[in-house]
This record gives sequence, structure tokens and C-alpha cells, in this order.
Amino acid sequence: MTPVQSVLHLHDLDLLLHELQDAEALACFKRLGLPIGPLAPLEAARREAAERVDPRWRHHYDRAQRRYGGAVAAVRGRTCQGCHMTLPRSAAPAAGEMLALCESCGRILYWGVRSNA
Amino acid sequence: MLGTLAPSALDTALYIPDLRHRRKSAVFDELVDCAVASGAVRCDPALRELLRCRESLGSTSPGRGFALPHARSLAVRSTRVVVARSGRGVDWGAADGELVHLIVLLLSPSECPESAHLDLLGRLGNALRFQRQRQKMLEAGGFETIASLLREELA
Repeated sequence: MTPVQSVLHLHDLDLLLHELQDAEALACFKRLGLPIGPLAPLEAARREAAERVDPRWRHHYDRAQRRYGGAVAAVRGRTCQGCHMTLPRSAAPAAGEMLALCESCGRILYWGVRSNA
Repeated sequence: MLGTLAPSALDTALYIPDLRHRRKSAVFDELVDCAVASGAVRCDPALRELLRCRESLGSTSPGRGFALPHARSLAVRSTRVVVARSGRGVDWGAADGELVHLIVLLLSPSECPESAHLDLLGRLGNALRFQRQRQKMLEAGGFETIASLLREELA
């Protein structure tokens, strides 16, 4: 995985872990006949994913994760999907990069393919 | 009703009439490739890995020949449903040991609230609950028939 993919994967795993610790979600899976086993493999995958994240982003990730429970926000229509603030043009990452920090909320912004973000 | 589904979430571009592969991991790749080709996904390695991690916790097939894999991910642009059929069947590790012939993959963007994602998942599960409905989907000549059967539950 690339450094960007590692950050996204860590975020997705945290979302999944949160979901699987929620009683309503577990009840939904049970109703659907989708049993959930022990979370240990997922927690191990989370640890591995965290180790792969560049320390520069890991610091911001951990801080935003503690604060919001979701450290990365997608950018759609130049709006941070975490705090819903319109981002200034200067917030865009350098050419060839896909991550930046939201100056408003501190979440890591995922710009994706810039022309489609 | 929490989850809302845009008409574009069920699209013929997200339909695989007969899967090429029979191994679950290869089928996941086929499903994600389809979502990428339709423009629904923008970072497929992260999504592939997430689906594999979810599956490692327990099969997403409740048995009876269908599977309901699902993911909320930053890689997903907007909520989409990928529908795939397999004439030969896929070993999805279901508790009843039956091969899976119908797969409905729910993809939600990470900003989709958990409750909305689960609501949609539950309604997709309802749409697949009855053998008669599943049989209609398996015998459908085209995607529109399948889509209308799913929309009945999702509307």
C-alpha cells in the first residue's frame, strides 16, 4: 500500500471496529444471520496498519481520532466532510499529493483524485 | 427509515451477470473492479483490504445461497450496490455449507452515518430473505428486473 492508502485503510479499520462494538450494529448483523467472531484479527490488522502510516500523518491521525472518533474526512466539492467548512484554495495539497490538514477542524483531508474531489 | 438510496446506486454498470471466478478472494476483486470501472470507488486497494478484513471476522453469507458483503470506506464516493450472480456458485464459507449464487455488495462512503448504512443493509437483507425473491433475481433476464425487486424493499 502507498502512504495514502495506509492512512485510508487505518481510518476504515477504525470505522469498522467502532461499528462492531456498537450493540445496535451487532443486533443488526445477528438479525441478518451474519455472525461476528472475535475482534482480535481486526485489532491486529489495525495495529499493523497504524505502523505503516507515516509518523508525520500518524501524529495528526491520533490527535483527530481522539477528538472526533474519525480522523480522516473526504473532500467533496471543496468541502470538508468532517466539519462541513468550505476549504480555501490554499488548503489543497501539493501537486501529486492527496492528503492535507483541514485548517478548521484538524482532520486529515482526503482529496482523492483532485479533479474529481 | 434512515438510509436513502439515490437511483444511481443501483445501476447496470454495477451488475455482473455471471462471475468469472469461484474463489471468494478473486470474487471480491471482481466486485471491486466493477465498482472502480463504474467510478464509484477511488482508492481500491484500501477497499479490497477492508472487505477482506471484514470477511475474516465471519462470513457475510447467512446461507441459503446468497451473500451480503458490505463496507463503509473513504474509498467510496457515494452509496452504491454491486449485484453479481454466479451460475457455478462460490464457496463463501456459509454456515449451511451452500454455495453462493447471488451476491449483493453494499458500499457506503465513510461519512454515511452508521445507522443509515445498517438500515440499508437490513433492507437489502429483507429483499433477499425469501427464496421466491432470490429465484426471481437468479432467473432475471436483465438487471432492471433485479433492480426493481431490490427497489421495492429500499423505496
